[in-house]
Amino acid sequence: MAAQRTGMAKRKKKEQSEYFFDYSLLFIVLFLLGFGLVMIYSASSYSAFEEYKDTAHYLKRQLAAVVIGLVLMIIVANIPYHFWERFALLGYIVAAALVPVVKTPLGVESHGARRWIRIPGIGFNLQPAEVAKVAIILFLAVLVCKMGRGIRSLKGFCVMMFFPLPLAAEVYLITQNMSSALIIMGIAVIMVFVASPDYKKFVIMALLVIAAASVLIYLVASGSDILKFRGNRIRSWLDPESDPSDTGFQTLQGLYAIGSGGIWGKGLGQSMQKLSFLPEAQNDMIFSIICEELGLFGAVAVILMFVMLLWRMMVIANNATDLFGAMLVVGVMGHIAVQAVLNIAVVTATIPNTGISLPFISYGGSSVMFLLIEIGLVLSVARRIQLKEL
Amino acid sequence: MLSDSNKIIHRKKMLVSFLIFTGIFAFLFGRLVYLCVWQADHYAAMATDLHERERSIKAARGRILDCNGKVLADNKTVCTVSVIYNQIEDREEVIQVLSRELELTDEYVRKRVEKYSSMERIKSNVDKETGDRIREYDLAGVKVDEDYKRYYPYDELGSKVLGFTGGDNQGIIGLEVAYDKYMEGELGKILTVTDARGIEVESAGERRIEPVAGLDLCISMDLNIQSYATQLANQALATKQADSVSILVMNPKSGAILAMANVPEFNLNQPFELPEGTAENLTQEEQQNLLNGIWRNGCINDTYEPGSTFKIITAAAGLSAGVVTPESTFSCPGFIIVDDRRIRCHKTAGHGSQDFTHTMMNSCNPALITVGLRLGIDSYYSYFEQFGLKKKTGIDLPGEAGTIMHRKEDMGNVELATVSFGQSFQITPIQLLTTVSSIINGGKRITPHFGVCTKDAEGNVVESFEYPVTEGIVSEEVSATMRGILEMVVKEGSGSNGKVEGFRVGGKTATSQTLPRGSGRYIASFVGFAPADDPQVIALAIINNPQGVYYGGQVAAPIVRQLYENILPYLGIAEYHE
Repeated sequence: MAAQRTGMAKRKKKEQSEYFFDYSLLFIVLFLLGFGLVMIYSASSYSAFEEYKDTAHYLKRQLAAVVIGLVLMIIVANIPYHFWERFALLGYIVAAALVPVVKTPLGVESHGARRWIRIPGIGFNLQPAEVAKVAIILFLAVLVCKMGRGIRSLKGFCVMMFFPLPLAAEVYLITQNMSSALIIMGIAVIMVFVASPDYKKFVIMALLVIAAASVLIYLVASGSDILKFRGNRIRSWLDPESDPSDTGFQTLQGLYAIGSGGIWGKGLGQSMQKLSFLPEAQNDMIFSIICEELGLFGAVAVILMFVMLLWRMMVIANNATDLFGAMLVVGVMGHIAVQAVLNIAVVTATIPNTGISLPFISYGGSSVMFLLIEIGLVLSVARRIQLKEL
Repeated sequence: MLSDSNKIIHRKKMLVSFLIFTGIFAFLFGRLVYLCVWQADHYAAMATDLHERERSIKAARGRILDCNGKVLADNKTVCTVSVIYNQIEDREEVIQVLSRELELTDEYVRKRVEKYSSMERIKSNVDKETGDRIREYDLAGVKVDEDYKRYYPYDELGSKVLGFTGGDNQGIIGLEVAYDKYMEGELGKILTVTDARGIEVESAGERRIEPVAGLDLCISMDLNIQSYATQLANQALATKQADSVSILVMNPKSGAILAMANVPEFNLNQPFELPEGTAENLTQEEQQNLLNGIWRNGCINDTYEPGSTFKIITAAAGLSAGVVTPESTFSCPGFIIVDDRRIRCHKTAGHGSQDFTHTMMNSCNPALITVGLRLGIDSYYSYFEQFGLKKKTGIDLPGEAGTIMHRKEDMGNVELATVSFGQSFQITPIQLLTTVSSIINGGKRITPHFGVCTKDAEGNVVESFEYPVTEGIVSEEVSATMRGILEMVVKEGSGSNGKVEGFRVGGKTATSQTLPRGSGRYIASFVGFAPADDPQVIALAIINNPQGVYYGGQVAAPIVRQLYENILPYLGIAEYHE
């Protein structure tokens, strides 16, 4: 304590406020957003012109989403995060109720999947899976605080793992969106992992997942079709070049882009693959366009930005004034980390292809808005940190 | 407030999660390094393959050279001048230069220059000099593409032999087809980068893979002999108002063909032009049939009844089998009864008593029928096959017709009798010439051919062609006897119009009535070789449906005589004085 006091004394002259605002985090997020907009314009301008006669079609839509998202972020950042505590259960129920709405006439189909809900009047489509992600973070954070030491027991662990399951199942079964279901489960696992002092259970769980995945891959590779169309995805992942016309197409096109970028890239705007060769170039596959245009170095820069983002969030979580705040930040950190890892792994054909976007960078209004709301939460937690605690 | 111990646990766990994710990111970074560095070439090559569209550059097709190196088929460099709308900087200057250089009207060029299109062709088949001049202006947006066009300097000469090529540089008929793979060369490529729909990406530039020129083909045809033969054939066509005239000139020892004229020929530089007076409302198919008829090489693609020239084969078979000698005597009353049929001789009064040599000199049907009957069906048929008459000659031109002959089991004495003097079956002119050659050259069945060798652009021989030769068709003695008999035919017999002053010529005439009999249509022919004791050259003239006098001795033999009077000295064959 004495050391902290002297530390505070040293800073006293510089500090205006006694509360902390994490400008580094804000800067990283803004950088990723700006970079994302540039890359979306680069990756989409050609197909946007082909389709809409407007090279900036996707850019404009994304820019609007980013602006709305930033406003929401500032609002959320200025609301004390405990305000949301009372909405945890409500949020969970609303999220669970929203997912089936995609099956109603309000649902919007795009890219062969029905995952969006049209919000009448503003021409904006909401993806209920995004709501579910925020809801589960809030809900689990509250739950951890409620359980207190109860989380150390096996029962506590099971309760924590039980609640995200219905949401994930809904998202997976109703919207056929396996990647969002995976993210929801991933968020839960990380939050439980941080909340509980135990390691054993998690190591066993990881081993079980790895074993199950290996068995599945083996079965599919040896010709079983227990997985139906997802089996094809695994087959085309194992050997994308064997089936370049169908399921392996997107994977292979992405690899062409990454491979032809090389170390230094072709230069911004010079991608060939974005000329309608690579489907979803501005969306799920934007990372491969980054690799093609900016090369390995561009890709590494993006990865480093994500690592720094996670690091900033870890620092905030570590210094959060209470467990609720810490768990909120851990949830957001888990969300962004899992999503970024899965996206880059898909694009590099490290895991089978599943539609997942790169946080902050990929085109997608719903996604970026909810991510910014989550960042708003993190900033709100950060603001509660009293500098004397640092 | 968090308890301190809990806080420490959470902090540790957060650090662990952070490190796990950092580790995963590091692993993905490794994966990226693998893809961007180790696999880069592989994927980049595949991607380039995907992005590039090829435009091929024609390879210069090999030329066709005659036996003296004269060019019979050549390539002309022509240019295609086009404009690219987006690249033009000074529109007025482009219009002005192009209309002046290409001798086009201002409006014509302006319309094309101002048309908004990716590439607009102004004029094709432009001379190379003009193309070069336009290129020197270095106008932005004006493209001059070079191209080769097949060019035949002698228009009609040997048209059905040489053949011509289509738009893709591929042979369509004749030697152009037969030696396509030597002459075609390898296409070059202009690789342009395009998007997924094939639209050119203009900033990307282009890559060229240069074409490999085809090999020159040297053939045995002699331009001079071919020209002269064509001239004679045209004369006969005109004077006899014939349907067609063919003249074949060959070296009987090697099978090298020196000339193959089939008049009327067609212009190789305009092979698709229909003859004047053709009805205009022909369907596509009718036009094609008409053209196929025009392109047809009668010496190879069509069969005919050879008539009396085939008595050479009957005589050679009889001599080989020993059923007849030159001294054997025959008596001709003007007809012969075979089974229940009475077959007349062309001289209804009969030739009376004569030895075998004289039967050939008189071209006596009953005598040759007797020889055929003496041989019998089995023996005659086996000689027919031994002489190679049932097989194609194997000439290096496409579409050779096969022999139409009775099946052995269907042959009776009447059929045998008619075959003996060259009727009731059909062979191609080249088959007759080849078979007669093998009988008079000492018994070697040679393969008639044009192709001699291929040469590269520097004139080095790349490949010399060899052709199969079957020895022992007839013995040297029979061959010598036949040469003697055939020399007598020309010297004192029915082929006397084929006599050439100062040279020993052997030969045989034929006059065959075409089917159906009684139509008044005849084919007059003469096959002659020189010198008679050591044949260096053999020629066959066939006049199809001559008007007026139609006997081979009167119509065909003089053509070969005129031909020999000119080409024997030209070929350096020594004059002979008795």
